[in-house]
Amino acid sequence: MAKNVLVVDDSSSVRQVVGIALKSAGYDVIEACDGRDALGKLTGQKVHLIISDVNMPNMDGITFVKEVKKLANYKFTPIIMLTTESQESKKAEGQAAGAKAWVVKPFQPAQMLAAVSKLILP
Amino acid sequence: MSINLDQAQQTFIVEARELLQAMEQSLLQLESEPGDQDAIGAIFRAAHTIKGSAGLFGLASIVGFTHIVEDVLDRLREGNVAVDAALIALLLKCGDHMLELVEVVANRGEAPTPAALERGEALREALSAYQPMRTATASVETAEVADDAAVEVLWHISLRFGVDVFRNGMDPLSFLRYLETLGQMMQVTTLTDSIPPMDSWDPESCYLGFEIDLRSTASHATLNEVFDFVRDDCEVHIVAVDEAPDSPAAMGSELVTQTEQAPMTPSPQRLPAASEAKTRDGNYVRVNADKLDELINLVGELVIASAGASLLTRSCNNDPLQEATSTVSGLVEEILDGALHLRMIPIGDTFNRFRRVVRDISQELGKDIELIISGAETELDKTVVEKIGDPLMHLLRNAMDHGIESADARRAAGKSAKGHLNLNAYHDSGSIVIEIADDGAGLNRERILEKAQERGLVASGAVLTDQEIYNLIFEAGFSTAEAVTNLSGRGVGMDVVKRNITLLRGTVDLDSRPGQGTVVRIRLPLTLAIINGFLVGIDQSTYVIPLDMVQECIELDKHQRQSSRDQGYLDLRGEVLPLVHLRDHFSHEGPAARRQNVVVVRYAEHKAGLVVDDLLGEFQTVIKPLGKLFGALRGISGSTILGSGAVALILDIPALLNQIVQLEARTTQAPPSPPVVAR
Amino acid sequence: MPITSEILDDTVHVRIEGELTIYTVAELAGELLPQMGAAPRLELDLSQVTEMDGAGLQLLAVIQREAGIAGTALSVTGQSQAVTQALQLCRGAAS
Repeated sequence: MAKNVLVVDDSSSVRQVVGIALKSAGYDVIEACDGRDALGKLTGQKVHLIISDVNMPNMDGITFVKEVKKLANYKFTPIIMLTTESQESKKAEGQAAGAKAWVVKPFQPAQMLAAVSKLILP
Repeated sequence: MSINLDQAQQTFIVEARELLQAMEQSLLQLESEPGDQDAIGAIFRAAHTIKGSAGLFGLASIVGFTHIVEDVLDRLREGNVAVDAALIALLLKCGDHMLELVEVVANRGEAPTPAALERGEALREALSAYQPMRTATASVETAEVADDAAVEVLWHISLRFGVDVFRNGMDPLSFLRYLETLGQMMQVTTLTDSIPPMDSWDPESCYLGFEIDLRSTASHATLNEVFDFVRDDCEVHIVAVDEAPDSPAAMGSELVTQTEQAPMTPSPQRLPAASEAKTRDGNYVRVNADKLDELINLVGELVIASAGASLLTRSCNNDPLQEATSTVSGLVEEILDGALHLRMIPIGDTFNRFRRVVRDISQELGKDIELIISGAETELDKTVVEKIGDPLMHLLRNAMDHGIESADARRAAGKSAKGHLNLNAYHDSGSIVIEIADDGAGLNRERILEKAQERGLVASGAVLTDQEIYNLIFEAGFSTAEAVTNLSGRGVGMDVVKRNITLLRGTVDLDSRPGQGTVVRIRLPLTLAIINGFLVGIDQSTYVIPLDMVQECIELDKHQRQSSRDQGYLDLRGEVLPLVHLRDHFSHEGPAARRQNVVVVRYAEHKAGLVVDDLLGEFQTVIKPLGKLFGALRGISGSTILGSGAVALILDIPALLNQIVQLEARTTQAPPSPPVVAR
Repeated sequence: MPITSEILDDTVHVRIEGELTIYTVAELAGELLPQMGAAPRLELDLSQVTEMDGAGLQLLAVIQREAGIAGTALSVTGQSQAVTQALQLCRGAAS
């Protein structure tokens, strides 16, 4: 059974690239365009890993992580945060919230795949 | 593994254009409300997203430039840089440059032009004034250790996981599984001796440790990277067993307990911007515009085929067949409406684009001008929207240049110093009307008339209404006269505007009140693809008149035929109705038919009667544009194929009416007006 | 209930169903550990475990340790593929 990865980013091209990379490796991908949208998709289905952008409309990535940590069925789900080097303060805040895995944008699809593989294999 | 990102890159280009558009809107919003944190957030996010996505596709030029912009925006967001007019102007230009760079990518990788590079350099320079004193180039460390020697090494890896590892969603076993993909696990020992006694043990805390022997060609750096995500609270210890202890690979054998003290400055918690409730992606499917055009084209063919089937059905006496065909026709019509609707987009995006133009031009002219937009939700066909931008731009520019007076002149005239420009759109009987209104000085009626007579556009002594005089500025011979520019209150190129609008099967007219301003009204068809037509016949030929312009049909009796032929007019219930004999107009040979009919058509304020042989009824018509060769043909706007397979020409009523109006203008004095002749 | 246990003669039979992961270890530990020493023998059936991670591994290690302390004879009567794979990865550390 393929592992589900939830990709949360307001940029559809980022979602598309991450999706292409992960699907090519055998993961199943669920997309969401912001934190609020993503929370709506965390119901019922098992999600094995979450990849989330930080800066998004409606609900930013940090708030999203804090919300995920409140959900009994998802609070231990590994989360990879997408960041840019200019977001150090955000990173500290996110780490405190429990998001320890950070991938710096821009990344190559292969890099993203490697990061995901360290946390779960397909 | 090679991953094809071409399609994703197309998504990026579309997305970047949208984001830059949004960034511009937010910048303008910020300019009017310098404290708007939502706007600042939106601007930052746009730049941030573009940079992040561009990096995915290795678009270094976009990343490099956007990085600097983002840096300044970040300082703006943190309050280290204040919003002022100069900064907004600079950031707007930066947005332009980013778009320029995106378009370079869109055009398949041609390098930016030297001029563009120069602009980019100048902008970087200007941006650096807003950056803190430091080396402008961001020190992006690439801590890449070359994996040159692919020699297999026996590594010993010693792991002690921290207590919060499970809680953070990390599974130590996953790292082991990943190591397995990098080489051969020779030996694994699981250490459980640090698990505390039962009474103080928390099952959700991690006390596991591993000692691993891994035979792998991976470098020390690669192995070290595996534990990037758990580095904070884990001890990772990697040693090469095979090699001498002083070899470079063994250098990393120190305990890598990372003491990364990230600055814990609590950034002010920003509430999620509720104003951005538009979830753009949630409810929409992106469709290639070409596919849509193809669909609409096919639906057009379907309409023709269905009409053909209906015609045939009518000729055979089969009730069930007729019923079935009429059901099909009904459905086809609905599909047609639906398909056309798919391509309808609100004109608001086009309008909003002008905010920037108005802002820039008014600054350039030193006038304070406010643009007021209404009817932004009015929808029209995408193909029309794309083509109306330039004419609108020209009209706006003219209104600002020549229509609206300087602040001093306005005050002297007792008006507010601030000029107003209204851009409005609404639907009106099968057309969309776009109005550009200014509250400037209005046109100089006398001067226009004088000039027009001078240039032979109007017969001297001709009596024209004010509106007719104002509309003279759209005449080719008129508006190119530069001397008139400032006096008329309108610049050059109005004839070009008119021509472009005419090409869209639209019309333009103008109204002006001295001292109060000018309104330009553009009337356009909602779609260029399909019209409801009224078929008329002359000899064996069939012509199509757009149905929404047909007012009524009258049969000409013998007596009327003669008198109307002589005068070129018909007395329509006391009203003078100019006639166009299409038989003559299109040079059909042979004698007139025994019976003749008049189709009364109206467009905007003008009315005329078209004299034809036969009335053939309504027909839904798919417009096939005429080739370039026939572009100069007056009075014909396109062609269509009838159910029978025959070709019918579609009459360009606005053009026909216009010819009559022009003739009237020139020959008001000359009795009796000769019939309109095809040119 | 992811865990069933019954005492037959001198043996506690425990069967774990579903996940043996961070999401279930707290509950499983709360059920299992008090049973240590309740009978001379403990039989653990892991054949219905669908998923196992490091937290599960650690729980098994603790059970093994506590069984030793309490003098209970521990035996694993069945293991699913998920369990086998996890144990193999750590070279059977917990059994």
